[in-house]
Amino acid sequence: MVAVTDLYEKYTITKDGQMMLRKAEKEQMETVWERFQAQLPQCGYCEMGLSCRNCVMGPCRVDPFGEGPQKGVCGADADIIVARNLCRMIASGAASHSDHGRDLVEVLEEVAKGKAPGYEIRDAEKLKRVAEEYGVDTSKGDILKIAGELAHAMQEDYGTRKSSLQLISRVPQKRREIWEKINITPRGIDRETSEMMHRTHMGVDNDWVNLLLQGMRNALSDGWGGSLIATEVSDILFGTPQPKTSTINTGVLKEDQVNIIVHGHNPVVSEMIAQATEDKDILALTKKKGAHGINLVGLCCTGNELLMRRGIPMAGNHLMTEQVLMTGAVEMMLVDYQCIMPSIGPIGKCFHTQMISTSDKAKFPEMEHKEFHPENARELARELVKQAVNNFENRTPNRTYIPVEPVNIMSGFSVEAILSALGGTPDPLIDALKAGKVRGAVGIVGCNNPKIKHDHGHVTLARRLIENDILVLDTGCAAVATAKAGFKVPEAADMAGPGLKEVCNALGIPPVLHVGSCVDNVRITVLAAALANHLGVDISDLPLAGAAPEWYSEKAVSIACYVVASGIYTVLGPMPPIAGSMNVVKMATEGLNEVVGACLAVEPDPEKAAILIRRHIEKKREGLGLPSITV
Amino acid sequence: MKEVVVHPERCVGCMQCMVACATAHSKTKNLFSAILEIPLPKPRIHVGVGLYREGFPNRCRHCDPAPCMMACLPGAIYREPEWDTVLIDPDRCINCASCAMACPFGVIRYHEDSLGVPGKVIAVKCDNCVTRQSEGIVPACVEICMCNALTYEERDESLKRKTDEMARRISVGAEEREIIESPGFNLLNTLKRANVAISEGAL
Repeated sequence: MVAVTDLYEKYTITKDGQMMLRKAEKEQMETVWERFQAQLPQCGYCEMGLSCRNCVMGPCRVDPFGEGPQKGVCGADADIIVARNLCRMIASGAASHSDHGRDLVEVLEEVAKGKAPGYEIRDAEKLKRVAEEYGVDTSKGDILKIAGELAHAMQEDYGTRKSSLQLISRVPQKRREIWEKINITPRGIDRETSEMMHRTHMGVDNDWVNLLLQGMRNALSDGWGGSLIATEVSDILFGTPQPKTSTINTGVLKEDQVNIIVHGHNPVVSEMIAQATEDKDILALTKKKGAHGINLVGLCCTGNELLMRRGIPMAGNHLMTEQVLMTGAVEMMLVDYQCIMPSIGPIGKCFHTQMISTSDKAKFPEMEHKEFHPENARELARELVKQAVNNFENRTPNRTYIPVEPVNIMSGFSVEAILSALGGTPDPLIDALKAGKVRGAVGIVGCNNPKIKHDHGHVTLARRLIENDILVLDTGCAAVATAKAGFKVPEAADMAGPGLKEVCNALGIPPVLHVGSCVDNVRITVLAAALANHLGVDISDLPLAGAAPEWYSEKAVSIACYVVASGIYTVLGPMPPIAGSMNVVKMATEGLNEVVGACLAVEPDPEKAAILIRRHIEKKREGLGLPSITV
Repeated sequence: MKEVVVHPERCVGCMQCMVACATAHSKTKNLFSAILEIPLPKPRIHVGVGLYREGFPNRCRHCDPAPCMMACLPGAIYREPEWDTVLIDPDRCINCASCAMACPFGVIRYHEDSLGVPGKVIAVKCDNCVTRQSEGIVPACVEICMCNALTYEERDESLKRKTDEMARRISVGAEEREIIESPGFNLLNTLKRANVAISEGAL
């Protein structure tokens, strides 16, 4: 029999994760890993994308061995079924990011109308900059008027009246020409998702190549539309991130303080909670209740948003969300939306933890629903933080278990912050690239997935890349993993190769830069576009790559597709559900090169993924006439 | 005579055989009403998980001699000669689990079943769908399996197919031709093996 300790070491590389899994076992609480085991074996048709539930002549499936049915009832073959299923994943992912973006635009609009007490324009400079991109007249200087006009202009991007999204103006001309040529220039954010759903309805688009092209256009409507708007408006409303230090892992929870966790993706609620934790009357109440303060911490991407802008500590990533609650040290968890496992409500109930859902779009079992809107957010946040403080006395000390000490992290590397660290221009980075001190840059992004040992993919890949003088920019769950491993402090430059180490030491930055949450992947593509424009080349000419070593979500599919369509080679850890069609596999992993100058690769082993990426980067260096080496 | 033959290399792990089996052994024989029955019908075929998270449809082999039959002191387990099938008499079963101890394949389960007295737990296993077979219908697990991981055929017929396959694989130059039945399924399994190997620390 396998000893339990060994088992948990197979589940996760993180010390706090392993220790919390032992506590989960002791407390007989189920985790995502047990549910994953219970699901095995997983359905091969679904894993290969060969099952179709799009209509009720079906459900249908295609026999991958060629003897059983080869077509659905409608006549769709494996290529069509696989392409339709993949495209629906993209549509869902793009819809998620874009709807998140829309919520921020709505707050911006309410702020402009003066109907969102507590919210304000924190980065007026950025507001003006973005407004000018949208053609808003900023000369009169009335900030709220500009905000209102920008909100309306962005809402137009969501509609159907435009022939292309505004912010693709940041994309190099060469790339936009490619999109025009193959007709994938994104027109309206909602339009592309809506059209994708239309085309995958029975009897509409039955050309798998044509479907995949619309899939890319839909993804681009996310990457240069919904996600980008989400990031830009978040910066305008809550401030553009600047380098900040903080701490990370389960150890950020404090035994003697009121612990409040915000979890999800959207900073709209959590920013108000953060403000409320600083209110004097609430701090006085905290003292009265015998707590030494309020400790606000983040989880997942809501956590990333707060960490980037306010340096608020981060408790963990996707696969840690259940375990963080199992510390028994959490007075309240507030969730917004996306990647919130419905399993966590009941875990809160095992302790004194109050579980609060906040969005009209996302309710969960065993959670109390307190709906946030821009007009009530400030007051509701105060009320809930008070409620959490009052809950401190209900904590059971002998069930409280905070397993580790936190690790230090430097965060807050927005594009603006990176450029300012470089002295206001990308030239120092370009010089370092040219000289070969930095071979290239890689975005490590994406989720956790119980199919892959937790954090192993992110950490191993990041380690191998920085060792080989490749600068890493990361977001989302990947960013949490590498920070916990200690890669996000300036001293981590010692782990980098000699060239990258020299550059990091000169600038005082870590070799792995935290650029934000998962909508903030656009910071990476925007930076890539800016570098390409600066050099007068296409994004696909640059020594760049993307990686999603532990991805799980539909949002990740959309991200991977817009990154590739933007010209960046991307290596996935888990296999997307496309193995049922070797035509789709070949298109994704080879054919796309000829279409958009970049493609996907699938490599579960991060050691091998690192080699694939290094080879790609050296090939691109060679293409630019820069010194290259053989990997 | 025809029987159910298992081809594990073709199992995609969809578990549809389990659902079809439970439905075929329900009172109403219809999935949507079966899930409302008391007791809930349960499958006689069980899909196990392999080392690499792949599926394996595990089913009673109807051995001869059958170890379960020999272990059954009340004589509840018997062979039905017409369909060459090992069956359990629910009225004679005393729920002692001796058959489970004797069974080399772990295919027997113990639960209340619509075949037995209400409220009584009995030993339940694959009955080769003898009722369906006698009506000229193939066993439910075979009917639902679209990948032909479960087939209904003469045993020797299936083995002859396998012999030919084997012969093709050892043909001179076969390595270059790489006979893969489903490149996609092969790819999926290769990646699944890699995931497990990484977790085990083997890579």
